[in-house]
Amino acid sequence: MKQEDFVIYEEEIEEIEKALRRLIKDAQAKCVLLVDKDGHLITRQGFTQSLDSTALAALLAGSFASTREIARLVGEPEFSVLFHQGKKDHIHITLVGERTILAVVFDDRTTIGMVRLYAREASVNLDRILTSGSQGDHPSEDEKRTGLDSEFSASLETRLDDIFSERS
Amino acid sequence: MASINYAFKEISCKIVYYGPGLSGKTTNLQYVHQKIPAQTRGELISLATDQDRTLYFDFLPVNIGRIHGFSTKFQLYTVPGQVYYNATRKLVLRGVDGLVFVADSQKSKMDENIESYQNLVENLSEYGYNLDKITLVFQYNKRDLSPINSVEEIQKILNPKDLPYFEAVAVKGIGVFDTLKCISKLVLDQAKRKQLFPQRELAVKELQKAETGVSVSPVPQSEQISVAVGSSGSFDISAGQITSTITEEKPRPVIEEIIPEAEKTKVEGSLEIKLKVGEITKEEKMKIEEPPPREGPTIISWSASKRSKPKGFFLWRIFKNLFH
Repeated sequence: MKQEDFVIYEEEIEEIEKALRRLIKDAQAKCVLLVDKDGHLITRQGFTQSLDSTALAALLAGSFASTREIARLVGEPEFSVLFHQGKKDHIHITLVGERTILAVVFDDRTTIGMVRLYAREASVNLDRILTSGSQGDHPSEDEKRTGLDSEFSASLETRLDDIFSERS
Repeated sequence: MASINYAFKEISCKIVYYGPGLSGKTTNLQYVHQKIPAQTRGELISLATDQDRTLYFDFLPVNIGRIHGFSTKFQLYTVPGQVYYNATRKLVLRGVDGLVFVADSQKSKMDENIESYQNLVENLSEYGYNLDKITLVFQYNKRDLSPINSVEEIQKILNPKDLPYFEAVAVKGIGVFDTLKCISKLVLDQAKRKQLFPQRELAVKELQKAETGVSVSPVPQSEQISVAVGSSGSFDISAGQITSTITEEKPRPVIEEIIPEAEKTKVEGSLEIKLKVGEITKEEKMKIEEPPPREGPTIISWSASKRSKPKGFFLWRIFKNLFH
């Protein structure tokens, strides 16, 4: 397998969320989402209630992946910024490090320039958090054990039986 | 790869339905979407053409709820089956945890099944994945039609390794949930196993403590880590399978495989390392006193060349044995 599982810890999330909140404030955006390139939502901030973030995360990752292929075809390694302009709302998408994507949803209260400026800043900051976070020793071994211990399989089986039982 | 979020206590796995065009991949997802309780699933998103042929992917998030405190989610994707859409099909495979190969049982479709399977192998290899290491189950769909190939015939051609398979009639829902249940369980078992035995990091950590001048650094966008030993050469580690890069004329030690002892005996924190130089193979066991470190994301940068003197460290010993 090419890549390891993507693991996020609490202290990282706190820092990430802080950075995202600052980005919303600075750029006056509506909401921001941090998504990994495989389409899993890492976290989100701002007015996201009305959004289906799971689907949005998968679609953002998909759109980023196809854009990257387009880049490759025209001889670019990667388009690091993507911008979708709508009538009211717009989305600005930036690459963060190697594995994550930062999407900023904003409207006409702010400008693309502002968003771009602060998104770039936030992207550097987030990359630092994600990279440095993975170096430190996390004292969450216990948590890890309780999370995925041997009883996990048994519980899983019951749950899968419940939900995926023959419903035909 | 599976994403594990400790802050929100969430595990998220990606399952992809693969197979030739019109074999019933989207139908599988539609049936799951129809039948499971609304609170456990999100909306089914289809990026399809006007003729309802999948253009990019279908996506259905399923949340099976908390298991031992962890909210467990599956993201089900299908690929576009038509040969023409290979570019987008390949993209969907990125980060896949488990695969369902949906084969069309009709006799006339066998060639398409084979072609699609070969295409899967090719596309995976472009990501550096190996089908032997990825969780895969088969679904032989359209069992209600005729003329169809017998299960034995399909098994012989598509699934000689006898991986789990299910007979299905996806439009009627027969076999759909059996397949999904099997793949979700296998995928989570795999995530759990990897979680508990993060062999790669164990190896890295040990190597970092090694003889002076050892530096360990990950190769970007791959799970390889190149390990430079002094100025003598380097070898790459990748989880479970280690390949070598010989930078000088003289062959250098290559770690051939790392078997976490824990996996076999349930004694955590011991590793078995097999080193190979030319024809000589050397096996070494070592104990790791501290609990295994957590498994981190790949965006990691290690730099370890602390000049801490090792206490009879294995690498040094093996080097000595092999070269003197």
